[in-house]
Amino acid sequence: MASPFSGALQLTDLDDFIGPSQSCIKPVTVAKKPGSGIAKIHIEDDGSYFQVNPDGRSQKLEKAKVSLNDCLACSGCVTSAETILITQQSHEELRKVLDANKVAAPGQQRLVVVSVSPQSRASLAARFQLDSTDTARKLTSFFKKIGVHFVFDTAFARNFSLLESQKEFVQRFREQANSREALPMLASACPGWICYAEKTHGNFILPYISTARSPQQVMGSLIKDFFAQQQLLTPDKIYHVTVMPCYDKKLEASRPDFFNQEYQTRDVDCVLTTGEVFRLLEEEGVSLSELEPVPLDGLTRSVSAEEPTSHRGGGSGGYLEHVFRHAAQELFGIHVADVTYQPMRNKDFQEVTLEREGQVLLRFAVAYGFRNIQNLVQKLKRGRCPYHYVEVMACPSGCLNGGGQLKAPDTEGRELLQQVERLYSMVRTEAPEDAPGVQELYQHWLQGEDSERASHLLHTQYHAVEKINSGLSIRW
Amino acid sequence: MKDALVLQSRVPAHPDSRCWFLAWNPTGTLLASCGGDRKIRIWGTEGDSWICKSVLSEGHQRTVRKVAWSPCGNYLASASFDATTCIWKKNQDDFECVTTLEGHENEVKSVAWAPSGNLLATCSRDKSVWVWEVDEEDEYECVSVLNSHTQDVKHVVWHPSQELLASASYDDTVKLYQEEGDDWVCCATLEGHESTVWSIAFDPSGQRLASCSDDRTVRIWRQYLPGNEQGVACSGSDPSWKCVCTLSGFHTRTIYDVAWCQLTGALATACGDDAIRVFEEDPGSDPQQPTFSLTAHLRQAHSQDVNCVAWNPKEAGLLASCSDDGEVAFWEYHQPAGL
Repeated sequence: MASPFSGALQLTDLDDFIGPSQSCIKPVTVAKKPGSGIAKIHIEDDGSYFQVNPDGRSQKLEKAKVSLNDCLACSGCVTSAETILITQQSHEELRKVLDANKVAAPGQQRLVVVSVSPQSRASLAARFQLDSTDTARKLTSFFKKIGVHFVFDTAFARNFSLLESQKEFVQRFREQANSREALPMLASACPGWICYAEKTHGNFILPYISTARSPQQVMGSLIKDFFAQQQLLTPDKIYHVTVMPCYDKKLEASRPDFFNQEYQTRDVDCVLTTGEVFRLLEEEGVSLSELEPVPLDGLTRSVSAEEPTSHRGGGSGGYLEHVFRHAAQELFGIHVADVTYQPMRNKDFQEVTLEREGQVLLRFAVAYGFRNIQNLVQKLKRGRCPYHYVEVMACPSGCLNGGGQLKAPDTEGRELLQQVERLYSMVRTEAPEDAPGVQELYQHWLQGEDSERASHLLHTQYHAVEKINSGLSIRW
Repeated sequence: MKDALVLQSRVPAHPDSRCWFLAWNPTGTLLASCGGDRKIRIWGTEGDSWICKSVLSEGHQRTVRKVAWSPCGNYLASASFDATTCIWKKNQDDFECVTTLEGHENEVKSVAWAPSGNLLATCSRDKSVWVWEVDEEDEYECVSVLNSHTQDVKHVVWHPSQELLASASYDDTVKLYQEEGDDWVCCATLEGHESTVWSIAFDPSGQRLASCSDDRTVRIWRQYLPGNEQGVACSGSDPSWKCVCTLSGFHTRTIYDVAWCQLTGALATACGDDAIRVFEEDPGSDPQQPTFSLTAHLRQAHSQDVNCVAWNPKEAGLLASCSDDGEVAFWEYHQPAGL
């Protein structure tokens, strides 16, 4: 087990400068340049590097860059540089934008929009001992008090995500004879799962993943495309913040797929976790309970501004339930009133089946938490996956237990989660097909349900991350 | 102390490579070795000589870091730097790789079988400890992924009779895990080492744990149950673990392995100073403050770092060791008179 480095390096403990488990995952891209290999490096006073070529000309060298995407994808070191990058997605950043708006000329102000997820709202409701509707209204009041112009509910966007997922599943089911990768369809709403799939299983598993955008990113399309047009603004004039139950949503928001090249703006500029919103409330010296409620904003005139709505099927969005009921009706003409979940090897792995005359027509599953993802992936690899659809979420217990949610002392964690679940489920549910404003937007914004615009604005793609096999990463 | 540890045999197990680890099968008739040559070798005796009976060479693409036998002796698990764990089934005269466990992000550092035989633990440079369950059809399922360590996890070991798992890490701690509901949770963190903990071993009763470290000490930890006579505080129904003894001053370099003989209670250490040492608990020492004496010290046991020591489970005093020099050595330990 002796270090392979020379004695001199061993003495300096160089090998442990960054611990063995902290190898940087950033692949170093070396651009080959033609010409002589001999050059000197000159370091300027400001720390920038210049290459001095043999003919005397100097050329500023580019810095190797580590982006937020690289860091959030890796559980290793977070150096001070990455900390700076990650803080670009924080409540401090929102505060800066709001402060800048106060001193900006009227024509130079950015329109600040906040979209709140139902999971974050339920978590805050539990903390402040309010019901979900009151929490939504008081949150709206709070955000407007600090300078936000519009506050929306991401459940509206989730209608589109669910509808597109349902439709995609039926399509895939019908063409499974022609395509080995059509089924099982794996849910796409969880960015932790997407990131893991891209990084570790790549091109094998990505074709199985639904291309439907998550509610956050549908909301991104709605705000930066539809809402911007409605407000007669270009997308870069809007600063769009989402409030989400997990940190991985920050990674999702920063994906290149959700960046508008033309206007150099993201669909979602900043993601705040539930915990970060709580910190914002504390810093403002505000208790949510004391605020006067204000109606939520509606994206279209027909969207109800009186109270938030939600969907059936649990705190992770209800994907399994909606896809299942839609598929049963559409493919087999069977109306499913209630979906029955059968627990499997643990509480985070449950099965749902559609049977007729003793024959299983559909077999669906929910798989929450990394251990269940692992078992699912291994079954897929061995060609032994019995499911048509799997709702995959990276967090144990699903999104209501996301890493960004408000925590409780250890002994009370289970009880708090149950309370959050109760509060989440108290919100009135609505079928996405019946939600006001949805059909209107399919017609007038997207130009039809199967249009190219719908495909572009409501769907996305995935990209395998290549593995690095550098000899330098060999450790003992 | 003179002649307490006598060389019985030395074999060039993994030529031109390091030999990383050794594991005896439950009946003590076979010894598995693994190394930097990506191979696993199975050693058995023919007459007075140790002979290589099998070479398992097709399972891994990189260094095989550790091996472990199942309690029934019919399976061998191997942990590799290729991020996989292979399960080999022992046939009449050969081994067949029946399953490859995937999921760790990078190098798998250790693998261990629970005494029941239906659970397996692995640990990795990715900081996680995984618990796998085996069913009747030799299918392995991931039961839990434990992210309690903040660094590289070096070793996992199970309690000799209970489903209690221990892990040692580059974060200088030892962690203990037990099942809670349908998942596994960290129930204790043993802090005290000042550097990487390389290996851990339970004593025969399972009430004590030895850990060895880059800080050149071996620590002995003792389990205290709730309501214990000594009045040691426990949180809830979980036992407390306290360091009751520190063996310091004996080792001049990193201690890479510690082995606690299940037959005699002798404690052997493998050291980066090329030496093997054996300690025994002093008779009549206070169980709450045990003292250990050095009963054997073999300098130059190998020509390079000693990576592993392993007591034979059936033949008292038979100790195997392996080294960066690629060799496996077999030693006979003679317990000093008076112990």
